[in-house]
Amino acid sequence: MDKLKENQAAYYPGCALLTIDRAYNNSSKLVSKKMGIELVEIPDYNCCGIGEMKSKGAASMYMPLRNMMLAKNRLGSKNLVMACSVCYHEFSRSIARVKENQNELSAVNEIFKEAGEFNEEFIPDGEARHILEFLYNEKGVEEVKKNVVKPLKGLKVAPYYGCLYSRPSMYTFTDKKPKMDNSERPRFMHEFLEALGAETVFYGNEVQCCGGRNVVQDEETSFALCSQTISKAKKAGADVIALICPKCAGALDVNQPKIVEKFGKDSELPIVYLTQLMALAFGFSKKEAEFGDMISEPLKVLNEKGF
Amino acid sequence: MALEKHDKDKENSGGGRPVAEKGEHIVARHLIEDDNIKEEKNLVIDGVDVSGRWNTFIISRVDSDFDRSFFEEIKKTVAGSRINRCWQCGMCTASCTVTPLYRRFNPRAFIYMMQLGNLKELKKYIDVAWRCVGCYKCSQRCPKQVNPAEMMEALALVIKKYFPEEVKTKLKLDEEVKKIYEDMIIGHGRLDLAKLHTSAMQKSGRTKELLGKIERDTIFKMAKDGRAFSILRLGKPHNWSRSKEAIENYLRKLNTIENGEAGV
Ligand code: SF4
Ligand code: SF4
Repeated sequence: MDKLKENQAAYYPGCALLTIDRAYNNSSKLVSKKMGIELVEIPDYNCCGIGEMKSKGAASMYMPLRNMMLAKNRLGSKNLVMACSVCYHEFSRSIARVKENQNELSAVNEIFKEAGEFNEEFIPDGEARHILEFLYNEKGVEEVKKNVVKPLKGLKVAPYYGCLYSRPSMYTFTDKKPKMDNSERPRFMHEFLEALGAETVFYGNEVQCCGGRNVVQDEETSFALCSQTISKAKKAGADVIALICPKCAGALDVNQPKIVEKFGKDSELPIVYLTQLMALAFGFSKKEAEFGDMISEPLKVLNEKGF
Repeated sequence: MALEKHDKDKENSGGGRPVAEKGEHIVARHLIEDDNIKEEKNLVIDGVDVSGRWNTFIISRVDSDFDRSFFEEIKKTVAGSRINRCWQCGMCTASCTVTPLYRRFNPRAFIYMMQLGNLKELKKYIDVAWRCVGCYKCSQRCPKQVNPAEMMEALALVIKKYFPEEVKTKLKLDEEVKKIYEDMIIGHGRLDLAKLHTSAMQKSGRTKELLGKIERDTIFKMAKDGRAFSILRLGKPHNWSRSKEAIENYLRKLNTIENGEAGV
């Protein structure tokens, strides 16, 4: 495969974005392209481990790092962009760990050697980039403003960062990226949304957890956390909640009918991805941004508001 | 917003004193067994009558006879490698997402029990210990970079090794779901979210729910818009079997508690 051109970036979609979260995948690609960067999928990717391998030592690091190898080997890129916060966490965790710990690096390289897929050893000289932080740092708010053709005037949005985009800074280095986003009070999504012409609301649960990690075996916890987040956002006057993670979507969007069943109408609010709103403001149709995919039916409020 | 009512909550909720909801669990003294609390009706200390004020004490819990080997065992794992750094400040518990929901979930205390190898205490918390949602608030705020979020992973390993019976009964679902994940991640190299959901529902005896309206609506929607088929097309990475073998080999050779099979 050809190496990347200057306006291209190696991209890791992950299992969720390639399947049920295509809305996030497609809209991420659309808006990146509009902002001047083409996201090129790495061939032959494998699952990042989704946090379920953490008690398995270096095997948990092999999962994401094999993809870093693919990016370097096949696309000639040290860095890898991704939109899923869980993948982002797994990649940055593994990179941070092997950078700091020689034993763990050798253990990972042992697995690489035995699998025999690549000729060289893994060297932790690249970075994982979350799409939000990546677009913010590489292109910036001005580039967003420049591309807005349909301002989202009158749309009140509750930005939801969740956990792993900004935490923990020992792994994400959120505070050390070219321009920093704060781990406790991140701002990048706020700035993007405001650049789109939307209004952001403060509701206090911006970096709360959705309980997504245990959502299959511990619905009870996840539902309680999500119900709190949704009702707080609703109370603050939000029309929609904007996300940057497909796991959050699983908990807040896909499960919303069950949450409403349990906690009532206060826990009902349309959920969208940040990149869907960006695509809409950039002039793409609601179909192109796949708003119809969301279970919580954001199309209703978008139509009502005349977007 | 507590989801779990501890029996002691009621008995000990301040003895009739007005207590704000937030303060209830402080008064409720979860982590102190009743036997360890000594209450005196009338108490005179150094000739001063302190009755009614200072009459509740905790029996000294200084534990000097603890088992170091346990600590070393945890330190050898990737997740638990920083256990030695914890100075018990409690920031992790104060930050925790889960603690307000399940008040017996107390990462600081769990780390303490692991440091001392106090299996007797740990055993009492098996039913809540697995509830960590991996949100990393604790790790973000821990002043000693202990990484308590991952210490909870180490805790799971400890429980798995020392309490296999309880794992089979109390943590059955959690273990089964983990197994589904692992089989897919290691076995296929990619995650089939639909299969994950349905197998987990089956394992938890909720197959019937899959036929309920909410589930049916979602499945129908995804079949209609084509997403259900994209799951079928997900496939495997080329030559994944070589990675799979290498990972399994690595896990087999591990001589830490991370090697679940051998129960080292
Ligand atoms: S915050 Fe860190 S140092 Fe403090 S008790 Fe928790 S793990 Fe220990
Ligand atoms: S990672 Fe686990 S222990 Fe840490 S704050 Fe979140 S739920 Fe609590």
